[in-house]
Amino acid sequence: MAEYLLYAVLNIGFITAISPLLLGAIKKVKALSQGRVGPPLLQGYYNLAKLLKKEIIYSQNTSFIMRLAPYLNIGFLLAAAAMVPVVFLPSAEGAPGNVILFLYLLVSAKFFMALAGLDAGSTFGGMGSSREMSLSAIIEPVTITSAAALAFVLKTTDIPEMFAAVLGASLAQYPTLILIGMSLFIVLIVETARIPVDNPETHLELTMIHEAMLLEQTGPKLALMELSYGVKQTVLMAILINIIFPWGLAAEATLPAIAVSMLSFGLKALALAAVIGVFESLMAKIRLFRLPSFFMLALFFSFVTIVFELLA
Amino acid sequence: MIQALFLGGAGLMLLAAAAGVIGGGDSGAGRRKAALALVIAGTVAWMAASAGVLADGAAVDFTLYRLAPDLAFAFHLDRLSAFFCLIIAAVALCTAVYSLKYIEHGAGGRQRDFLTAAMAVFILSMGLVAASANFFALIFFWEMMSLSSLLLVLYERDRAETAKAGVYYLVMTQFSTLFLLLGALLLHRYTGTFNIGAADLSPAAAGLIFGAFFIGFGTKAGVMPFHKWLPFAHAAAPSNISALMSGVMIKVAVYGLVRILLDVLSPELWWGTVLLVFGIVSAVLGVIYALKEHDLKKLLAYHSIENIGIIVIGLGLYVIFSHYSLAALADLSLFGALFHTLNHAVFKSLLFMTAGSVVAATHSRNIEEMGGLVKRMPATAVIFLIGAAAISALPPLNGFASEVMLFQAYLGAFQVPSPLTAVLLFTALAAFALMSALAAACFVKAFGAVFLALPRSKEAEQAVEAPRAMLIGPGILAAACVVLGIFSAQIFRAAGFDLPLIDLLPVTAVTGAIFGLAVFLVRRSGSRVRLSETWGCGIHRQNSKMEYTASGFSEPIVTIFSPIFRTRKSLRREYADRDKSIVTGGSGEIHTLQFFEERIYLPAARLVQRLSGFVSRLHNVDLDAFVLYAFVVIVILLLAVGRWL
Repeated sequence: MAEYLLYAVLNIGFITAISPLLLGAIKKVKALSQGRVGPPLLQGYYNLAKLLKKEIIYSQNTSFIMRLAPYLNIGFLLAAAAMVPVVFLPSAEGAPGNVILFLYLLVSAKFFMALAGLDAGSTFGGMGSSREMSLSAIIEPVTITSAAALAFVLKTTDIPEMFAAVLGASLAQYPTLILIGMSLFIVLIVETARIPVDNPETHLELTMIHEAMLLEQTGPKLALMELSYGVKQTVLMAILINIIFPWGLAAEATLPAIAVSMLSFGLKALALAAVIGVFESLMAKIRLFRLPSFFMLALFFSFVTIVFELLA
Repeated sequence: MIQALFLGGAGLMLLAAAAGVIGGGDSGAGRRKAALALVIAGTVAWMAASAGVLADGAAVDFTLYRLAPDLAFAFHLDRLSAFFCLIIAAVALCTAVYSLKYIEHGAGGRQRDFLTAAMAVFILSMGLVAASANFFALIFFWEMMSLSSLLLVLYERDRAETAKAGVYYLVMTQFSTLFLLLGALLLHRYTGTFNIGAADLSPAAAGLIFGAFFIGFGTKAGVMPFHKWLPFAHAAAPSNISALMSGVMIKVAVYGLVRILLDVLSPELWWGTVLLVFGIVSAVLGVIYALKEHDLKKLLAYHSIENIGIIVIGLGLYVIFSHYSLAALADLSLFGALFHTLNHAVFKSLLFMTAGSVVAATHSRNIEEMGGLVKRMPATAVIFLIGAAAISALPPLNGFASEVMLFQAYLGAFQVPSPLTAVLLFTALAAFALMSALAAACFVKAFGAVFLALPRSKEAEQAVEAPRAMLIGPGILAAACVVLGIFSAQIFRAAGFDLPLIDLLPVTAVTGAIFGLAVFLVRRSGSRVRLSETWGCGIHRQNSKMEYTASGFSEPIVTIFSPIFRTRKSLRREYADRDKSIVTGGSGEIHTLQFFEERIYLPAARLVQRLSGFVSRLHNVDLDAFVLYAFVVIVILLLAVGRWL
């Protein structure tokens, strides 16, 4: 229990702390690849600090949904963050880590964010909610199938146990993980509202999904929403990283091991952020109704994995 | 003791039914309240009886009346029956509390008496079905249940829509009884008894009997393609009755199916596949049709089809895993299905009751004419939101607690030795995930359109909060949604079932702690709070016409799934010039094909009509022809008898 508490506090704290850095890193890589200087690497932290000092403005049409949604969002996402070990692997006893529960915590956060988008009665918010829930509906089978493929290959439905399984083995032992990695990468792109699905940079009504839902959020509430978004991205990146490149993740809770864990995760996450930045720069946004075929690609990789494993 | 409690409860409900119909004229609100109080007392007695059986585990048998050696009104209360009796009684209790006020909304005095009485009979008959010890009693009470609910559906009989619902319901409910009768008679032919108990049959006979019972119970449960009556009947019935029908009546059909699979027949692999496929089709199509629906009660009804699909999927998984002797996974699926039955009863009756309050307040079932009700009916909104979150399977509520059991069972599919079955299971898993996410989208739409933003009609603007009784009834169920979810693992452990469940308590604690911390930090930051207008891109005054509508909300999904909706968009343009560059006018329309209605139900109805037309033409002849018929029949009989001898 004490060990779990230590783990939860460290893990949640570390993920919260590193999230704005990763957001900044992706922005920086994108700017550099487009020949711009871009914002400073730490811009994410400056933004949060600035928003925390601003006043909160609510539309007079809104209800308690608008007021509660940011708290619920950060609550659900950090509870999900507690299930994805990055500081050290907690002992299996009592640590909740079921992959389905994890995915549904993300859905819960999305549910309340979409409701908040509708609350003010703005067309933009409604549009964002509608698109978000539609895309979320068609990506869900892909996400779950990837989770099923992971559970199939690693013979467990528990995220920390999955990490433990790959940590003790080489990639050659689980060749199909590369296929799952591709699915997970697509899921990461979709869930974090990046190009080619959504464009996090613009507030142009034709392209925006995620941003549209947040238009009515202000001040510290907006800071919470931005932070939730960052946490979600870090957590999804952490799953991809710890499945494909698990090196450095501490198996026990000693101080040096935890430090190595944090440092190595930070470096790997920055590298992945660079990959995402380059990927975003190379891609063009896909038309909304063409997206299902992009998702099908991810579904295909997961299904191929399952079929491979069945035949093996 | 348990017998006395059960019969006492039944007696109280009979008394309630009698109180409603005896005596002429309007019996007054006071007597209706007394009748409902009797129903409440009866349900409490039933809950006590069921709790007794569930705690004790020993079955209670008793016979009320024996017509013939083989035909008796005999009852058998074991844990399965008691579990369903408990669901029926608990939901009926909350519905009766809700009805105390709701009934006074409906048409005229005498009709309200009748509604109370028929409701009591309806609840009584459902409980008796679940407790029946033989098929004779079961089908008898089943018919009682069907007919009392038919009368309730026809409550507002002056409306054309109600008449259509009544016809669909009557036909389909008799169709269901017919197949149950067929199943029971076939079983009697092979085993020589109507008693519900293990039957030793050849695979072919067992398959036949399973088919009959599956169609019979499946029709009542609303499994596709036998579902068409469900949205009509649920929408036409008064909301307290919709809550009972959707919350409990379709669960009685689930009870029948579970009983057949567990105690009567020994299932084979292909039954599991049949259950799984029908379940998946019901679940996915149910939610897809719900997304397109803007009649609040029909929307909820389609979600009932979806959830029945989930339950049937659970039963299918149980059969498949049992076949491969994977006992742990089979148990998980079966308990998942049963737990979801309870959970759906809880949140769906809650949703129908709050929907009833909303409809009573706005005088419309069309969600496009609502909006902004969260300000006018805050308590109703919160209760509905809990139900919506539960049905969308959001952790830590009860809908998630049962769906995740099925997910876990699915993820165990890699232990199945047959690759073909495993692929089927993984495909079904993808469809299951799709269904679950679409349900969340649909309830964002429903809650958003009904409760959020600005009111889109005069009625919605003038709506007022429902009276207290109409909040207490669903309010109890909302509390149950929370408790059954957060403490699901603890409840199963206390009941003595050792299943590999996910404990939702720690996650709830972490979420709650972070929530509290975030509230504290934001409060501490000392930000000023100001009210202002919604940002509208420079628009001066925002109005409800600028909001996203429910149709707008579901449009992307409708477009993505257009092959399933079979929508036909047709555009006609008139041009002023030959080069077709100047448009002078035109029209466009979107038409949804009612696949099941237009391709299955109506052709079947036309076939039956043609056959009955043929028969009636045979009747409509003069004496000579009748003599000819008699002659032909006698010749056939003689030939048949001669051959037999």
